Amino acid sequence: MKYIIILFILLLPLLALPADDDNQFSLIPQNISQTSAGRYFQSFNPDISLIVDTFYHRDSSREGIAHIFEEVSGFGHVCTSKNHHHGPDKGFNMNHMELYFSANADPYFKGWGIAAVEEEGAEMEEAVIQTTALPYGLQVKVGKFFSDIGRINPQHSHSWDFTDQPLIYRLTFGPHGLNDKGAQLSWLLPTNFYMFAGVETFQGNNEAMFNYIGDESGLPIKSGPRIFTSWLKFAPNIDNPNHALQFGLSYGRGLHQEEHDGNADGEMDHWLNGYTKFCGVDFVYKYDDLRAYGVGDINLQGEYFRREKDLTIKNHDLKPTLIGKHKQENQDGYYLQATYGFLERWRLGVRWEQIGLINKIDLPNGTSKSPDGSNRLSVMTDWTLTEFSRLRIQCARGNYELDGKDKKVTEFYIQLQISLGEHGAHKF
Amino acid sequence: MKKLLILIAISLLAIPFIRAEEKKLNILTTTPDLKSITEEIGGKYVNVTSICLGNQDPHFVEAKPSIIAYARKADLFIVIGLELEVGYEALIIEGSRNTKIKPGTDGYLDVSEGVLLLEVPTCKIDRSMGDVHPYGNPHYWLDPYNIRIIAQNISNRLQKIDSAHPAEYQTNYQTFVKKIDEAMFGVQALAKVDGDKLWEMELSGKLEEFIKEHQLQLDGWKRKVQSLRGMKIAIFHRSWSYFTNRFGLVVGGEVEPKPGIPPGPRHLKDLIKKIKLENVKVILMEPFYDRKSSDFVADKTSAKVVVSPISVGGEPAVKDYISFIDTLTNRLLEAITIK
Repeated sequence: MKYIIILFILLLPLLALPADDDNQFSLIPQNISQTSAGRYFQSFNPDISLIVDTFYHRDSSREGIAHIFEEVSGFGHVCTSKNHHHGPDKGFNMNHMELYFSANADPYFKGWGIAAVEEEGAEMEEAVIQTTALPYGLQVKVGKFFSDIGRINPQHSHSWDFTDQPLIYRLTFGPHGLNDKGAQLSWLLPTNFYMFAGVETFQGNNEAMFNYIGDESGLPIKSGPRIFTSWLKFAPNIDNPNHALQFGLSYGRGLHQEEHDGNADGEMDHWLNGYTKFCGVDFVYKYDDLRAYGVGDINLQGEYFRREKDLTIKNHDLKPTLIGKHKQENQDGYYLQATYGFLERWRLGVRWEQIGLINKIDLPNGTSKSPDGSNRLSVMTDWTLTEFSRLRIQCARGNYELDGKDKKVTEFYIQLQISLGEHGAHKF
Repeated sequence: MKKLLILIAISLLAIPFIRAEEKKLNILTTTPDLKSITEEIGGKYVNVTSICLGNQDPHFVEAKPSIIAYARKADLFIVIGLELEVGYEALIIEGSRNTKIKPGTDGYLDVSEGVLLLEVPTCKIDRSMGDVHPYGNPHYWLDPYNIRIIAQNISNRLQKIDSAHPAEYQTNYQTFVKKIDEAMFGVQALAKVDGDKLWEMELSGKLEEFIKEHQLQLDGWKRKVQSLRGMKIAIFHRSWSYFTNRFGLVVGGEVEPKPGIPPGPRHLKDLIKKIKLENVKVILMEPFYDRKSSDFVADKTSAKVVVSPISVGGEPAVKDYISFIDTLTNRLLEAITIK
């Protein structure tokens, strides 16, 4: 606790930021000039931007919230292979530094690359080739990218309204969401209202939901693509300029393989193969009060996902009789969030989440269990000084169901992020 | 499945017929001023929708799904340019997948070509200076001279993309320009001298001599705001630079410490001092900013707060460009006459 107080004291001078009112702007002369065709600074350089996103995290659990997530009944224990650690850690954290390059390649293609640079090295977050000149509102995208399913999945973490991912995303699609190598075909329909549909296919490397182990202990080899998804987004035309509303539907299915260490001796002892299906609905409503600096604006957003796993035991070192038996899982979850601009540049946000309303696991031995669900309430306030910097404080209280135990965890975040350079605006 | 395929086939067949019926050009503009001018020039041959409303801050508009749906079938997309729309223009063009309205094509028109620009930075700028625009202040539509150029750009483009009615567009354009010139200089002056000549004199600063020399009667905005010439005003955001430049008002203070940055207490204190020192009479502000800071300053000084739209449609009575400038000048005159 005393460290948090120290941190607050260190950050306190930030509140004095608006007091700096030096009129530097008068450096810019009020001269008059006739424009000419060549006035735009011409170059073929791509747009380059850098997001620096840092936060301080504390939570009330002994082992840290990231470990709690791995134990949540019905959602945890998914896959122990290639398990690299995902935060947050207690104390200072860096969200990956997002280095973004984007440009039109030629009259036919646009491309962008996003390197997620972390302390240990860089990851390819997105590397995309996208068509720009297809007729009939069609577009093809190939490369590695975030799937357009749901609302938060295609958004980059710095544009979220809360510091962290909703539980349903973290515990089903995993810390990176659904992001994979693949191809997408999307179509903006020629309707009078907004209707946008897409199909995607991905290689199938998602630790949490579409895991692929391959040639091991009876698991079949399956070449990619192993995931198929589709989505539809539509928005009614609302004449009133204050309101905007959009709905989305998503569906996906893909191969899923798991390996488990049933007797906890450090060796894998049974292997499962099958598929995971998911479907989701989402909505966003925005109220624009038409006042400067977001005063009076309201955003409501919610998503619901349900997933089904249907797996067959392919090999079992401990209980060979179970080979060929099924394991089925059925889970769901949602979040609902609201933000309100209560002062110029200041927003208040509340997010309520529940996971495991349906939480049914049919075990290979013929029994089944239905663990309780988990929930979390988060409250945040953020201060968007300009479009390029933001300070946020967030608190959360969660009740997590961990194999019959109920664990209550309080989380706390202070986040500061800035955006440098030419960064494309964020979509609706 | 079979039924569905038949249904799809029928709807695909219907597409060319739907297109054939629609003869009007679908035009999307970013601001309501552009919409108003385009409607005057395009007349019955155009359907125009504006993304931004008259009472909205044109810097911050969301690329709403309904706008993207409209942009998909647009024949022409008209923008103010100079990075005013930097926050949403690309989202709309790319999001609509409409290859017709991409920059560089005939379906994309940046009307800033040839306008008179103010506040073009001559030093290296960066974002610590606030929302500065690297190509100059983008609120140039507040100068009636620039409105003529905007109208010309729109007329030229309409004539180019719709070769069926060039004469109508040209006539509408000339009518529009005449209306603006009459509103600026008065009907009598326009009856004797060509509008272009009057503007040439206005721009070179020789209008008064010219009027005397030819014994013209000056009327319109030019005469109306003569009493405001040299008057010092404070402004909220730099939306007004082109207006003050054209009509000879002097900006003696800004409520925003830097463009796009709301004021803090220290800046307001300095502003109060400045307003007292320079005898500023009016604080002119846009309708979408909070009045609180301006009222605070006005309370401590003798200045009056004047709220005026910065665009057509900013208030229900402001239906076109002429009523917009009328409203703006009336508000200022009222403020200095009513004690």
